[in-house]
Amino acid sequence: MRPELLVRPASLADLWKALPALPRDRRYLAGGTDLMIAAGHGHAGDCWVDISGLKELKSFRETSSSIFIGSGLTIAELAEKPAVKKWLPALALCAPHYASPSLRNMATIGGNAANGSPCADGVCALLSEKAEIVLGLKGAKRKMPLHSFFLAPKRTALKKDELILGFEVPKWRHVSAYEKLGPRSYFGISKVTVCVSAEISGGLVKEAVIACASVAPVPLLARKAAEFLYGRRLDEGTVSEAAALAESEASPITDTRSEAGYRKAMVRVLASRALSKLAA
Amino acid sequence: MEKLSFVGKSLPRKDAEIKATGKALYSADLDFPGMLHAAAVRNPRPRIKINGVSDAAAKKIAGYRALVTYKDLRGPNKWPLVDTDYPFLPEGEARFEGETVALVVADSHRAARAAAAAVEIKYKELPFETDPLKSLEKGAVKLYGQDNVFSKFFIKKGDARKALAEAAYTVEGEFTTNYQVHAYLETQGAIAVPQPDGGLVVYTTTQCPFYVLDAVAAACGLPYNKVKIIQTVTGGGFGGKEDVPALVASHAALCALKTGRPVRLIYDRTEDFRSMSKRHPSWSRVTYGADKNGRITSCVVKYVLDAGAYSTLSPIVLWRGTVHAAGPYEIDNVLIETYAAATNKVPAGAFRGFGQPQISFAQESLIDELAAKAGRDPMDFRLHNLLDPGDITATGQELTSSCGLRELVEAVREKSGWDKWAENGFRRVEGNKARGLGVSAAYYGVGLGAKGRYLDRAGALVNIYKDASVTVNVGNTEMGQGALTVLAQIAAETLNAPYGSVRVEEVDSTKVPDSGPTVASRTTLMSGNAIIEAAKPIRDNLFKTALDMLKAKGADIAGMMEASEGVFSIADHKVTFGEVVKECWNRRLKMCEEGWYAAPRTTYDMKDGQGDAYVTYSYSADVAEVEVDLETGVLRVVKLWGAFDVGKIINPRLAEGQAQGGMLQGMSWAVYENLVYRNGIMANPNFTDYVIATTADKPEYDITFIEKDYEDGPYKAKGMGEVPLIGVAAAVANAVKAASGARVTSVPLLPEKIWKGLEERKAAGGKK
Repeated sequence: MRPELLVRPASLADLWKALPALPRDRRYLAGGTDLMIAAGHGHAGDCWVDISGLKELKSFRETSSSIFIGSGLTIAELAEKPAVKKWLPALALCAPHYASPSLRNMATIGGNAANGSPCADGVCALLSEKAEIVLGLKGAKRKMPLHSFFLAPKRTALKKDELILGFEVPKWRHVSAYEKLGPRSYFGISKVTVCVSAEISGGLVKEAVIACASVAPVPLLARKAAEFLYGRRLDEGTVSEAAALAESEASPITDTRSEAGYRKAMVRVLASRALSKLAA
Repeated sequence: MEKLSFVGKSLPRKDAEIKATGKALYSADLDFPGMLHAAAVRNPRPRIKINGVSDAAAKKIAGYRALVTYKDLRGPNKWPLVDTDYPFLPEGEARFEGETVALVVADSHRAARAAAAAVEIKYKELPFETDPLKSLEKGAVKLYGQDNVFSKFFIKKGDARKALAEAAYTVEGEFTTNYQVHAYLETQGAIAVPQPDGGLVVYTTTQCPFYVLDAVAAACGLPYNKVKIIQTVTGGGFGGKEDVPALVASHAALCALKTGRPVRLIYDRTEDFRSMSKRHPSWSRVTYGADKNGRITSCVVKYVLDAGAYSTLSPIVLWRGTVHAAGPYEIDNVLIETYAAATNKVPAGAFRGFGQPQISFAQESLIDELAAKAGRDPMDFRLHNLLDPGDITATGQELTSSCGLRELVEAVREKSGWDKWAENGFRRVEGNKARGLGVSAAYYGVGLGAKGRYLDRAGALVNIYKDASVTVNVGNTEMGQGALTVLAQIAAETLNAPYGSVRVEEVDSTKVPDSGPTVASRTTLMSGNAIIEAAKPIRDNLFKTALDMLKAKGADIAGMMEASEGVFSIADHKVTFGEVVKECWNRRLKMCEEGWYAAPRTTYDMKDGQGDAYVTYSYSADVAEVEVDLETGVLRVVKLWGAFDVGKIINPRLAEGQAQGGMLQGMSWAVYENLVYRNGIMANPNFTDYVIATTADKPEYDITFIEKDYEDGPYKAKGMGEVPLIGVAAAVANAVKAASGARVTSVPLLPEKIWKGLEERKAAGGKK
């Protein structure tokens, strides 16, 4: 069901001003692709604050050392940006696997994180690229590593009324591979996703980040596997050992989308495929 | 061969424009002055004792009007269907999660939803059962009668046990299949409009307006002649709008009677999932025996359908499954026992294929295993055993006419390059992906058959106006399958009326007699024949008048009159359909007639399952090419070859569409669709987590029609709608076996199951 009240502030300043007068059970509406579903189940509050038109959340800035992605950018908008293709290969690889074309036109990268789901496609990509998340509440801003933003399924570090302003991703010379298992050819929520970003120099891994979706209560960093790769050549033995480590770090559940045992085994298969792609 | 003007041509769909441009008015688009809105109050648990229903909190919601419970019924609280165990609204007990317990009426849709959420059902939970096999065990929770069996059937031909003991090769397997959700784009809905005389007009999305009539009249205690049912443009059915629209419409009708105002009741997707009909989940154990020459000598089947909380259509779904359970083969010894078991889940009912796809998956999977044991190519093995004209089916029926199964199997063999694949054992491996090829065959009794013989009739009204436009009323519905178009072609052909001048209307229950349901691939056959029957006397008048007119124009009437494309001619002399109609009206000839067609008698005996079960059969053969990822178990159906004998094709383009749609729906059921219950609660009643195939999953199609004339069919047609779905799952499963070595015995063939099969083979050190 639609909410009782829909408000549409013209700017962030207006938003902060408007909030105190609004009903307590309020939600932010960005792309709406998760909120509308929640609304169908009657869990979407009495009041929606539409932030989809806020220019401040649509910014995209490149500095010498980082890229800032505004939380209001849609997946389709991001996929078109040359800087994303150049500096954020994991996010670029993820885009075609992200839901469907129509949803990519609506869904925002901020919403993907705010929904707090362990299966979020965009989050998994950004996690592997060492993104930080930038939050704002009235005048106050804070920043944290993206992985610490997720506390539990559907629970994030966001305080009441706090907004995701965007993501800051460091520029580092990495290559990425993105492996998603969904329920059909496209347009499906992942059963398991493994996304690896790595800086490889002289055939040796200088740094690697392995992010996994849908295999833990929160988007998961397979740290042991990533650490194991440090300083190694991505030969068959290394790939296989790292993939096994990643599997050991996953703690998936059985739900309507897949089974725990299968998911766990697939972390190894997908990690192995992703690492082999990087080696190639 | 008769020269045909309109039949056999790909004429444009009559409803294409209004549907493509969004002008079509579906139930939810209709509005009436003073209309109110209803919403259902649903049972939140698998099984409850209802201690009361209170609308105290709902009364505080602005716009709230009324609560409707079983107390508002004006007739017996028994929905008249095959059986009468399903109450219109439950009194003491509700038996599945999502069952409508009461309704609320309010000024707006929003207020109705809020009020429904505010209504309190006071209840006590009762013990429940969700497993059909456990439900059949002694000591199970009592849900229906003494044994929880809604229905059971039996076929006994020869001595199957003895033949099995003597067989050179035997195979046995247990198979399961899960639900399938119809996933029609338009959810269920109805609008009931009270009439000044106390009667009702009900507008509803339905396949079966006469089932709706039965139910509304019964619930409201009204004579049939004070209830009019009008079918609205129907956004998909697939069997899901066979029985249940009658329940939805009855609820809307009760709300309208109580408030004296038009009431609209439209389901949202979640409640449609939770409470409306589905394809039955099934369990089966099948055993086959063959002699040393590879001839099938015995078939033993036990087949159980999970019927859900009420019997609804389970008896007839089960019966169709029973009749076809041995597969399309001539087998001398057959023993089949089948059960529809009660459980505390959503009542399952009609779905394209009607109890056949489940058992076809089981028996056709096993036929491959039997062929392997006998050391035969699965295609050869089928050709060696399949039903030919003159053969006897499992029920002892001789196939006297129209049976092209052998040609179908040969067609898919050739087109798929089967024999080339045979050289590699039907398997091609590249990297960690393997492709495989699999085959299946099926037959399908057209129409309702012996179990539904009393319903197997249809009426038609054909009326030619003075301006030579033609209206045809029938009792079977358009639900997307193309009935309006195909029936218009049949009417145009019979009358020699231009196709563009013929309009077939959506069903109005006051215009034609009860024509039974629009199911069982029977509409072309039944309504088509009724139209021909109605049109014949008019045709006689038209043709006689045309001849007179041509004679008056100086034509030599010794020559043959040709009637083609709406023109009557002898040599160079011509009169048009319009001119002839005008002259008929001048002569005061009757230009409006009714027709009636009743299916020929069937001889089937329910005691031993022997006799003629259906008047005729349609046939299919499928080959599937699949690709299996050997590490993840991910399955992709690459290509489907389908060959079908459905008699004469009335409209080739629509037939192609029906074939593609049926094959895709069959593939989607086989590969993706997985409705999950947890402790009696439906866990994924939505399209986010109930996954169906999209166009991106669509395989390549190669479709062949082999038209075996059916002499009693309209222009020799049989039935089309369901056949293309039935054999797909088994062909895919057989191809998966060829590709991966894993025999998956459970639909859907999820990657999780294929992967498990691959792991088990690895553990056993098995190599293909």
